[in-house]
Amino acid sequence: MTFTDFSPLLTILFFPGGLFLMGVGLLYEWLDHKLVARLQNRIGPRWFQPFADVVKLLAKEEIVPAIVNPYLFVGLPLVGLAGALTAALYVPLMGLPPAFNFPGDLIVTLYLLSLLTLSLGLAGWNTSSRFSLIGATRALTQLFAYEAPFLLALLGPALVARSWQVSEIVSRNAGQWLIVTQPIGFVVALIGLMGKLELPPFDAPEAETEIVAGALTEYSGRGLALFHLGKAVELVVGLTLVAALYLGGIGNPLEFALKTLGLLIIMAGFQSVLTRLRIDQTVGLWWRYGALLVLLQWVIWIVWKGLSL
Amino acid sequence: MTTDPNYPWQTVFDKLKTWARVNSPWAIHFNSGSCNGCDIEILATLTPRYDIERFGVKLQGSPRHADVLICTGPVTRQARERLLRTYEQMPEPKFVVAVGSCAISGGVFQGCYNVVGHIDEVLPVNAYIPGCPPRPEAIIDGVVKLLESIKGK
Repeated sequence: MTFTDFSPLLTILFFPGGLFLMGVGLLYEWLDHKLVARLQNRIGPRWFQPFADVVKLLAKEEIVPAIVNPYLFVGLPLVGLAGALTAALYVPLMGLPPAFNFPGDLIVTLYLLSLLTLSLGLAGWNTSSRFSLIGATRALTQLFAYEAPFLLALLGPALVARSWQVSEIVSRNAGQWLIVTQPIGFVVALIGLMGKLELPPFDAPEAETEIVAGALTEYSGRGLALFHLGKAVELVVGLTLVAALYLGGIGNPLEFALKTLGLLIIMAGFQSVLTRLRIDQTVGLWWRYGALLVLLQWVIWIVWKGLSL
Repeated sequence: MTTDPNYPWQTVFDKLKTWARVNSPWAIHFNSGSCNGCDIEILATLTPRYDIERFGVKLQGSPRHADVLICTGPVTRQARERLLRTYEQMPEPKFVVAVGSCAISGGVFQGCYNVVGHIDEVLPVNAYIPGCPPRPEAIIDGVVKLLESIKGK
């Protein structure tokens, strides 16, 4: 029996993964709601609101509908949250170097972030209520719409750094604000993140005025709380990723706070100014404009690079 | 885990649960035959002017997500089934608020051939808000009184 090293366990359970990340995620969710409220001339929720929501949901009864597959119903929220938490291990959270890294972890991070949407879609399909079914269809349609342009937008910085490893990209592009040289990529990445988080104007999958609550209509208590937490974690991870890749890297916690909050303010502005898009409009926006513009930027960058060599 | 109230962590958990419940009442609104007056006042309560998101109140579409069922109007024979079904779809713990004179006593619809009666004859009600219709301030006051009663338990 050799000496057991507990540090990976601590990394996963408390910092920067696990409990700490959930806390920061809920705090960012509050900031988002507060900013939107202030922009709508309201006072907005208190700072502990998301914490109270999650604790209340965890303490509530969980109703498993008779028609569903109970294993999927109980397991999917866990898979979604686990995906979002695992993705956090590969990004420079709080300005610290990523907890783990290997060549190509940018792609893995992006797929882990998509796991939440995939489990949301499966959860909606599994509960087979008409509202959750429509919500699931829309969530997955939206996934196919924003995923490719979002991926292309985040591969722009990777192209500059000639690496697919998040820590490598951040260290090689340090101090280089790619938002200046690749503005289209930045906009597509930020709006892609809003699509990923199903924030307005991309909230058609959970449009409460038409389809009750989308894919999560039948979820109550624990499952709802875990999906809620997963979204909050994904908000932080996504903001960190965009800030690290496009806003000149993240060196220390202060820089982390300033850059991610700046992005959050822009996102809150978009949320309160724009109205919900129909699902076909969302798909059209991403494929007609988002993907093509990012590809155009890639071509410009490659041609410029070829000429300057 | 044991549920013996003598363990200290049990009281801590109970306090945490009560705190969370009091600070995050998600509501669902059901009209079981009202004249729409109370419903308009409830919608007015939800507008930015009164901004009850300050207290954590959120209107939910799905009964599965809701903690508080806000009922308006007398219960008609046709709405009785739907009201009961909505109530039974809500997960425990759940609370019911009856808004308006008709929800409390049947009001002017009392004794009509198509009316079962007031909400209390169908569901256990936790808080009554009188008025025809009650003002948004009265509705907020009623919800706050309900939350106070949860705190006391």
